[in-house]
Amino acid sequence: MEMIIAGLLDSISPASLMFVLLGVAVGVLIGAIPGINGPMAIALFIPITYYMTPLTAVGFLVGLNKGAFFGGAVSAVLLRTPGTPEAAATSWDGYPLTQQGKGEKALRMALYSSVAGDFISTIVLILIAAPLAAIALFMGPSEIFALISLALTVIAGIGTTSICRGLIAAGFGILLGLIGTEPVTALPRLTFDVYQLGSGLSLIPVAIGLLAFSEILLQVEKFTVKGGSAQSANKFSSKLEDRLITFKEFFSNIKTLLRGSLIGIGVGAMPGLGAPVASFMSYDQAMKRSKHKKEFGKGRLEGIAASESANSSVVASSLIPLFVLGIPGNLAAAMLMGAFMIHGMQPGPLLFKENAQLMYGIYGSLVLASLFLLVIGRFGLRYFCKAVDIPAMILYPIVIFTCIMGAYLGKSSMFDVGIMLTFGFIGYFMRKFDYSYVAFLIGFILAPEWERSLQQVVIISEHDPFMFIQRPVAMGLMVLTLFVIARTFWCSIGAGRKKKQVEAATAAAGQHKAD
Amino acid sequence: MLPAKGCEKEVKHVTRIIRDAIAYLLIVGFCILMLTWAIPTYTPAYPGYGASPALVPNVAVCVMLFMACLSLIRVGVALCMKKPIVVEESEFPEDLEEDGGFTQVGRVKIVHLVNLMVPCVLLVVAIQYIGYMLASFAFLMVLQYVIGSRKWTQSIVVSIILTAVLFIVMRYGFGVPVPGPQIFE
Repeated sequence: MEMIIAGLLDSISPASLMFVLLGVAVGVLIGAIPGINGPMAIALFIPITYYMTPLTAVGFLVGLNKGAFFGGAVSAVLLRTPGTPEAAATSWDGYPLTQQGKGEKALRMALYSSVAGDFISTIVLILIAAPLAAIALFMGPSEIFALISLALTVIAGIGTTSICRGLIAAGFGILLGLIGTEPVTALPRLTFDVYQLGSGLSLIPVAIGLLAFSEILLQVEKFTVKGGSAQSANKFSSKLEDRLITFKEFFSNIKTLLRGSLIGIGVGAMPGLGAPVASFMSYDQAMKRSKHKKEFGKGRLEGIAASESANSSVVASSLIPLFVLGIPGNLAAAMLMGAFMIHGMQPGPLLFKENAQLMYGIYGSLVLASLFLLVIGRFGLRYFCKAVDIPAMILYPIVIFTCIMGAYLGKSSMFDVGIMLTFGFIGYFMRKFDYSYVAFLIGFILAPEWERSLQQVVIISEHDPFMFIQRPVAMGLMVLTLFVIARTFWCSIGAGRKKKQVEAATAAAGQHKAD
Repeated sequence: MLPAKGCEKEVKHVTRIIRDAIAYLLIVGFCILMLTWAIPTYTPAYPGYGASPALVPNVAVCVMLFMACLSLIRVGVALCMKKPIVVEESEFPEDLEEDGGFTQVGRVKIVHLVNLMVPCVLLVVAIQYIGYMLASFAFLMVLQYVIGSRKWTQSIVVSIILTAVLFIVMRYGFGVPVPGPQIFE
């Protein structure tokens, strides 16, 4: 109990409050800019957190992520150019409202839904993470090894249409994650006699390069090839009923909002699915269950509530596998895992045992971030909307220069800037060739832990080839891993066949019609 | 790709399926290089207990090799049998009529990439000789020009402000030494 009170008191210290507030404000501002999302913002700002205490650092990054998730709705509603896939469903009903001069109303609904979804999800995280972590403490190295293998397999499917390319990316991430000092012999491995690689590739330059720099390379390409994006419609009506959400309107959507939050919590807690799945699933359910199905897509507040409550509730629930098992469920969680490691903490069940006070402090910061989001969004909405109008010619050089200096900031080394540029280049090609940079990054982060658990299993079992069969949970997880791989291959072959049949049937029908 | 109106010759582009095949071949080559040279040369010898230090790197590379070979066989079969594979994997999104959605898959714009990467690489080199201030200012000016800005006053103002702000943040905010020789010292 003392730990809980001390942790919560830490979270309301002036420094912690200030950084959570700053994180939320910067997150909303950055998220509102088309093309910049939460994980990218975390990657850009992690170097700054080197100079903070662990609690303020995590509080700032969590606030940043929560703010950016809501910020994504701003460009989706005002420009119909959602910066992230999860905001796409918000734009379906948000943009028609903007065209009717009700952009502010749509954004307020998005804000309240985001805050509600996020708050519910945070409470669920607080209630279940610690008890689950206590159970997870009984897991040994075999189970951890099997679990990471399963997570890597599931995650390989994110951000690519091909499981093969996903696994290639994950394998490449693991390979690069192993560069540095080998844990058993303590000798350099795969460093190619480059002394700077002795401690391995730093996460910060790799993450900035892959997430931020490569994204900006593509954004600039889109901008220079296709020309500037459409400017903000930004037609805010002066009528109060077109600007504000009444209690009646809010409570008429409460069912949708709760359903969306539960979908988001469920989806977020499972590694590999992510916010877009939650958002689309919730929108689909809201539409199916609504009495006004035909109004969806034409500016219905229910659609915004469904999408935003679901995608925002993923933010906190994706921390459940991270806190309980030490496995990031999505990119934002992976970046937060990196932040934990930078500050000397290893996410996983031991986190609650070794850093209990800090964990309760983080819980406090998570709740405060939700409240700050409500306050900042409520009073600063109109100002944040101006972020969508920042000219690309000014914005992109700023982001590129920030990437370069952010990579330098970690170790004050130009070598890291070189690594960042290299991974920006690699990330550009990965995106163009459809190789999952998410799988790469998660493989890169999990590789040392994966190898450590394997080494422990081999040493404990004294090279017993049946080491996994003796542990039923580990064996179950390994079987599940094989099942996931086999099922994904089978589904991809099946989907290809089905698609070809549909295409053939469509072509035949078209030919018949032409005849 | 259909030729543009008035063009006498159709411009031949590499199709996505061929490009993917080349990528898989490069990955296979990389994996063979890793397995035969890099991992044996740059991995410590087996100490006699635990798993070999080369085990996990070998497993990672073998997964990559297996998947690349599998994909290569799939593409090879599709090309030899002249059986098209799914449209999403054989066509570039920019060639399809429908909206590509959130996919970033597409043709590599080499000129664009070079235009952006060269100033960045030059900055890394130049900053160590002419210092942070001059190199950053020049870099930002060039970058804004490359992106399309032709408003010189705006470019100069943005470059000066950004260089100064980051200098102050790094030097006085975080106490980090600014890279390269300093012109004001």
